[in-house]
Amino acid sequence: MSTLTAPARPATRRGPGRRTIRLRTYLAFLLLAGPNVALLLIFVYRPLLESLYLSTLQWNLGSPDARFIGLGNYVEWFTAPGTGTVLATTGVFTVATVGGSLVLGLALALLLNRRLRGRSAARTVVFAPYVLSGVAVGMLWLFMFDPRYGLVASGLGMLGLPSPQWYTTSPWALVMIIVVYLWKNLGYVALIYLAGLQAVPAELRQAAALDGASTVRTFRSIVLPLLAPTTFFLLVTTLLSSLQSFDIIQAMTQGGPLGSTTTLMYQIYQEGFVTGRAGYASAVATILFVLLLAVTVVQLRFVERKVHYA
Amino acid sequence: MPELVTPSSWSPSRRDVLRLGGLGALALALTACGGPTVGGTGSSTPSAGTGIDWSSITPASEITWWSNHPGASKEVEEELIRRFTAQHPEISVRLVTAGAGYDEIAQRFQAASGTDNLPDLVIASDVWWFRYMINGQIMPVDEIFAHLEVDVADYNPTLYGDYSYDGKHWAAPYARSMPLFYYNKEMWAAAGLPDRGPETWAELEEWAPALREQVPADGAPLGLGTGTSWSAWWFANMLWGQGGQYSQEWTVTLETPEAVAAGQFVHDLFHAKEIAAVGTDTNADFAAGVFASVVGTTGSLTGLLDTVSFDLGAAYMPDGPAGTGVPTGGTGLAIPSSRTPEQQLAAAMFLAFMTDPENTAYFSQSTGYMPVRTSAQEGETMSAIYDSTPQYRTAVDQLATKARSQDWARVFVPSGDQILTDGIEEIVLKGTDPAEALAALTPRLERAFRENVEPYL
Repeated sequence: MSTLTAPARPATRRGPGRRTIRLRTYLAFLLLAGPNVALLLIFVYRPLLESLYLSTLQWNLGSPDARFIGLGNYVEWFTAPGTGTVLATTGVFTVATVGGSLVLGLALALLLNRRLRGRSAARTVVFAPYVLSGVAVGMLWLFMFDPRYGLVASGLGMLGLPSPQWYTTSPWALVMIIVVYLWKNLGYVALIYLAGLQAVPAELRQAAALDGASTVRTFRSIVLPLLAPTTFFLLVTTLLSSLQSFDIIQAMTQGGPLGSTTTLMYQIYQEGFVTGRAGYASAVATILFVLLLAVTVVQLRFVERKVHYA
Repeated sequence: MPELVTPSSWSPSRRDVLRLGGLGALALALTACGGPTVGGTGSSTPSAGTGIDWSSITPASEITWWSNHPGASKEVEEELIRRFTAQHPEISVRLVTAGAGYDEIAQRFQAASGTDNLPDLVIASDVWWFRYMINGQIMPVDEIFAHLEVDVADYNPTLYGDYSYDGKHWAAPYARSMPLFYYNKEMWAAAGLPDRGPETWAELEEWAPALREQVPADGAPLGLGTGTSWSAWWFANMLWGQGGQYSQEWTVTLETPEAVAAGQFVHDLFHAKEIAAVGTDTNADFAAGVFASVVGTTGSLTGLLDTVSFDLGAAYMPDGPAGTGVPTGGTGLAIPSSRTPEQQLAAAMFLAFMTDPENTAYFSQSTGYMPVRTSAQEGETMSAIYDSTPQYRTAVDQLATKARSQDWARVFVPSGDQILTDGIEEIVLKGTDPAEALAALTPRLERAFRENVEPYL
């Protein structure tokens, strides 16, 4: 390595040729980038390729034999009667969790950005759920949502409202997991927004105030546009995280009742490990991958254009 | 002066990076396709026998057992291991909690297939063992048990026969159960009912108005849980009671008038007559007095006796208009086919030990699961238990008089239980027309059979 960083030798002495140096440099590049690239290839691209290959098979998980069926699994998924429901559930869950966490996270960040007593403690409390295990959070909230003995039922009871049957009725089960997902992930969004808010120059707000702008107007015309890069970043990360969420659904509803909380991600698990149709599950995984890729590309191409970087 | 190529003036171009990635991807693509063998179907059909001379094999010194500790039995299982190692100090057993339930164990076992990370003994529940078998993941126990001189004739014939296919046994019964009708004796007395369970579902219907007065407004005379590995189990009793069945061998029979009548019966139970209600933890709700009775497994008897604050009644599952029939269930233990003969032999020794008359009685006494040996059912240990806690007797008597092996559509078709559960939940939770809900299951079950069973038979 030391030879690579040594200063150029005088031209009178014949040093290593251009080819040798290029080779050495290339070796250094391989040495530095190689391990990371290897890890990516082994743990990301290899499973991806393998999944793509498995998606062309009719294969019982655990069986040593499989049958090549080409695009049969894809054809089945696109023509299956339940596919519309899975897509609708995924759509509702994603829109609600991404939209909800952005709006509520920003509101929370605005609150935490004020000079209030106990602000640091409040920030810790808000962020804490994000670092908890999704399964633990799911189990905890299962108790809270218990229609007979849960905290939510007690709260509703105080308002004179009956508790919905969260676990056994279709729309309420989905509402339940959306609420829990928001609770768990709100801290992350709030924290990133808080950092964004603190980067907004104070003089701009002061100038706006001097010009007589109201708080709402300042927020709308100064703060929100300056937060656009943060919002864009959060939009990409929360969307990807939401589309891939699994732990809370597994801990709370297992995709039920009657498939009403089965998202695309959960369908992969169910088909692969519960039903044991590994080929079909791989096809759904590939479809989810393409969907994620498309959404990310659209965001990068079109949404980012509207973002103003300060 | 020649231009020197220094590190600072050279940076890998996009082409360099792509070249590096491309080489790696190519290598991966060449090695990626290491999954199942493609082309042949049926080659995983289990072999007729192991063909091993077991007398020439020395048992392994350590074996691994994957369990979910059915009936909260971790300590009981640890005690069984202690007893075994006291008798066979040359073999140690590593107990691994490999899942919270039968389904989780099965998923892990299947995912680990083809790797070295497999156990030597694994939980094989009523709805999973057949899938292990057609995938060639487990071995028949007949030959190895014969070598160990296990008295297989002493296994309860129904419980051992549940693991029989193609003239061989693919597991041995371990934590075996049946659904039972548990009732709150105090509520029964307050409602002026005799101290017994209803003999028929029609009788429960007659009793329901009196029982409804004993439970809170959001309660019900009967609590029934939903979910996989459960709904389609208790529904089998109602289906058989109406003269129907899930399937006749591989032919799905869910559209027969008898099956539709059973669907209508369960529909009315929840909707028209409001005799039953669902609960996420029906045992806890029953213990809290929300339900006057509950359908539970024999495996929850010990737990219920510990938690309820009232006199607990245990009765047979009620009959239907066309007769009786109560499904057996729970789990057996199977030996993976890919382990070494030494490991398989040690595992079989441990399996035989755990299910011998004395230890099955100990397991039954500690959990409520049924003893799997005929001699144990009437042995000293169990007799003492029947005297002190007569509820244990109910399960054993029901096994002798009402047990029926399950229909193949539920236990032999991969995901059959899941598909049937979907239909039952449609009726129970959504109130869907039973004929419509059950008819929708037929093509799904037929497809699952066609794709996942037929090629392997």
